Amino acid sequence: MDTPAISTERLTRRFGDLFAVQDVNLVVAPGQFFGFLGPNGAGKSTTIKMLTGLLAPTSGTIEILGMDLNSNPVEVKRQIGVVPEGMALFGRLTGAEYLNFAGRMYGLNREVAASRAAELLEFMDLAGQPKTLVTDYSHGMQKKLALAAAVIHGPKVLFLDEPFEGVDAIAAGTLKNMLQRMIARGATIFLTSHVLEIVERLCSHVAIIDHGRLVAQGSLDELRAGVKAEPGNNLAAGESSEKLTLEQIFLRTVGGTRTAEQELSWLG
Amino acid sequence: MAGMSLVCEQFTAIARARWQIFFHSLRTTRGTAELVSRIFVSFLIAGAGIGGAIGVGAAAWSFVSNSSPGWLALLLWFVFVFWQFFPVMATAFTESTDSSVFLRFPLSYRAFFLVVVAFGALDIATALGSLWLLGMLCGIAIAQPTLGLWAAIVLCVFALTNIILSRTIFAWIERWLAQRRTRELFGILFFLLVISFQLIGPLLNRYGDRSKPDVMRLGQRVSPVQQALPPGLAGNAITKLGHSPAQGFASFGLLCAYGACFLWLLNLRLRGQYRGESFSETSARRTQSRERQIVPPGWKLPGLSSCTAAILQKELLYLSRSGPMLFTLTVPVVMLTVFRFGGAGGEKNGVLAHAPNFAFPAGAAYALLVLTNLVYNNFGADAGGVQLLFALPVRFRQVVFAKNLAHLTVLALEVGLVWGAVSFLYGRPPLDVTVMTLAGLVFAAPVNFSAGNVLSIYSPKKIEFATFGRQRASQTTILFSFLVQIVVYGIAALVLLFVPHGQGYWLAATVFALLAALTITAYLIVLGRVDRMALERRESMISELCRA
Repeated sequence: MDTPAISTERLTRRFGDLFAVQDVNLVVAPGQFFGFLGPNGAGKSTTIKMLTGLLAPTSGTIEILGMDLNSNPVEVKRQIGVVPEGMALFGRLTGAEYLNFAGRMYGLNREVAASRAAELLEFMDLAGQPKTLVTDYSHGMQKKLALAAAVIHGPKVLFLDEPFEGVDAIAAGTLKNMLQRMIARGATIFLTSHVLEIVERLCSHVAIIDHGRLVAQGSLDELRAGVKAEPGNNLAAGESSEKLTLEQIFLRTVGGTRTAEQELSWLG
Repeated sequence: MAGMSLVCEQFTAIARARWQIFFHSLRTTRGTAELVSRIFVSFLIAGAGIGGAIGVGAAAWSFVSNSSPGWLALLLWFVFVFWQFFPVMATAFTESTDSSVFLRFPLSYRAFFLVVVAFGALDIATALGSLWLLGMLCGIAIAQPTLGLWAAIVLCVFALTNIILSRTIFAWIERWLAQRRTRELFGILFFLLVISFQLIGPLLNRYGDRSKPDVMRLGQRVSPVQQALPPGLAGNAITKLGHSPAQGFASFGLLCAYGACFLWLLNLRLRGQYRGESFSETSARRTQSRERQIVPPGWKLPGLSSCTAAILQKELLYLSRSGPMLFTLTVPVVMLTVFRFGGAGGEKNGVLAHAPNFAFPAGAAYALLVLTNLVYNNFGADAGGVQLLFALPVRFRQVVFAKNLAHLTVLALEVGLVWGAVSFLYGRPPLDVTVMTLAGLVFAAPVNFSAGNVLSIYSPKKIEFATFGRQRASQTTILFSFLVQIVVYGIAALVLLFVPHGQGYWLAATVFALLAALTITAYLIVLGRVDRMALERRESMISELCRA
């Protein structure tokens, strides 16, 4: 078996008494488009921060492309790209300057960094405003720029925290094309998103985290089979587990339905 | 009535939320350190407030007892100028809160107005101004008890006028700072204002002790003008009541009219905010061009790695786009000019004209001092970008080293500029003085860089590089940087004091060079530990700097 692109063993992060992430064992094979799902506060962003070296785990190990993140942080970071929650932009640079900076910091030489920056700006449709500072970009433009900076060095593993949030439909289409092209060329993408339709359309494999614990992991078919096999999981008449959407799987897995009694009776 | 009770409810809720935010900030060590520093600073402020109140009270008592109450206006002018200018000038002690965040709630305009005025008034200037007015009232009431009640009413209105005016100034400044062009224009005006204040002292020295007829005439011309402004009116209202009540009431009426006028201006601004105006500068798409933009390659600097050069370039680009910071960097040269021409008796008697050999060391020391904002809050301007620095395949010490290199570049440029200015204004500094000064800088800079690096990691604070009033470092950083400066400049003063005259400057240069060897070693030791410190603190750094 190939070395996994991402693997964690008993990954745990505590904040005081709260276990934000607990004993998470993840395995993501190379070339997978991996969706990481969970309700709000389930531990998605905490996990992605730990996987990218932005947050120290309380215990457990993380290996990226077979390298231990704790002992080889610099080598691991050379191989990965990240779009974290806050986008990590330098507001008072122009888009071109920012990409140039990121490229050089990832080890590209000056000329290559400049030429890739120009190419990415054009691809992301950001080339029209060369003198605009990043701080004056719209939210969607900032998102595209952050993604451009994360891929400028051609990472083997890409981590994206809510990449489509605030991005218009045209830009989302461009981004999806780019990500699929990366997958076709052998890169691994680890993505969190609340838009389950996008995850269902893009990702080959999915993991679901709830209250800090991994509650499901596998391909969509494997997850459907898991729902069917779950004791007490009675499918409605005529409902076939093969036809379950990711949203239905997600809701059944994390128990996200409310009974009528729980509804807010005072709400008009 | 129901409306009023809703306003009270909302007001209480906001006050409670502010208290809870403060209380929760104490959960972290950093929050507790901030509180300790704040208490320390509050003691200093309380000292200034009570001392000032006693001083102002004694002066008021003296003026009223000696039948020269006309001088009360002078005290009121002092309070007025401080109240209005201190919050704008001393941005390190002022934090402007954005009340528009409350507009998402069903806040009536009246409630919004109250929130802005009430919470905005919780600042140092209001506290000190009010204390001083209280002192003044006591002085007047002791000297002439019959005047007490009337003085209390007038001073109360005067205080309210000050509160409203200061809120009006802030609200309009915020408006001007919301857009880059007006921001830069405002920056220039602000700088000119600062410079003009720096010139007041020297001008007073030069002209203050001379009873030149033209100066006296100017004073006489200015007097009616000052009497028509709020401090003069308040002074008139108090002093004229006894012998010319009509004039006293008229002055009081005009003072109230000023208050109403400021209220109207504030109302004008707050109405706009309440309506939800936006001055966002998100640029409209100028072209739909998909043509490839030509991106010039980054800097290539001899002897520096590509990463170090990239960070250095980024830092200097940032600096070049910070109007306030650039203005700050010109201050040492301006001060040299002021001290050269500003002393009583003209050019030959300027403050530094007595000791021209100290002009270059003083200018260079000041140049290092104005870098404090940058050096002690290395990552403040990076804000959310700090996440990228942690995600990059570089050691954090490399990032910090490159930032220090940028600071050193600025310092070198600044010292070069100071040397040029000193040569022009005072004559070229002698070689021994130049070498001593440079050796002193090589001793002092690593101390500041080391302490700055540690404080930048342990006590970062997000700042707005291009906006006045949003560059406040943390209280802990302010206190510690003061302490470091006291130690560094104290050592430098001791060295200069104890070197024997005659062989002085060369010997001092040698001592500074020896001390520099120690401080450079200390700097390297601290730099070597930066990776570990940053890894340990990355979580709190990211959460503090990414804060909205």
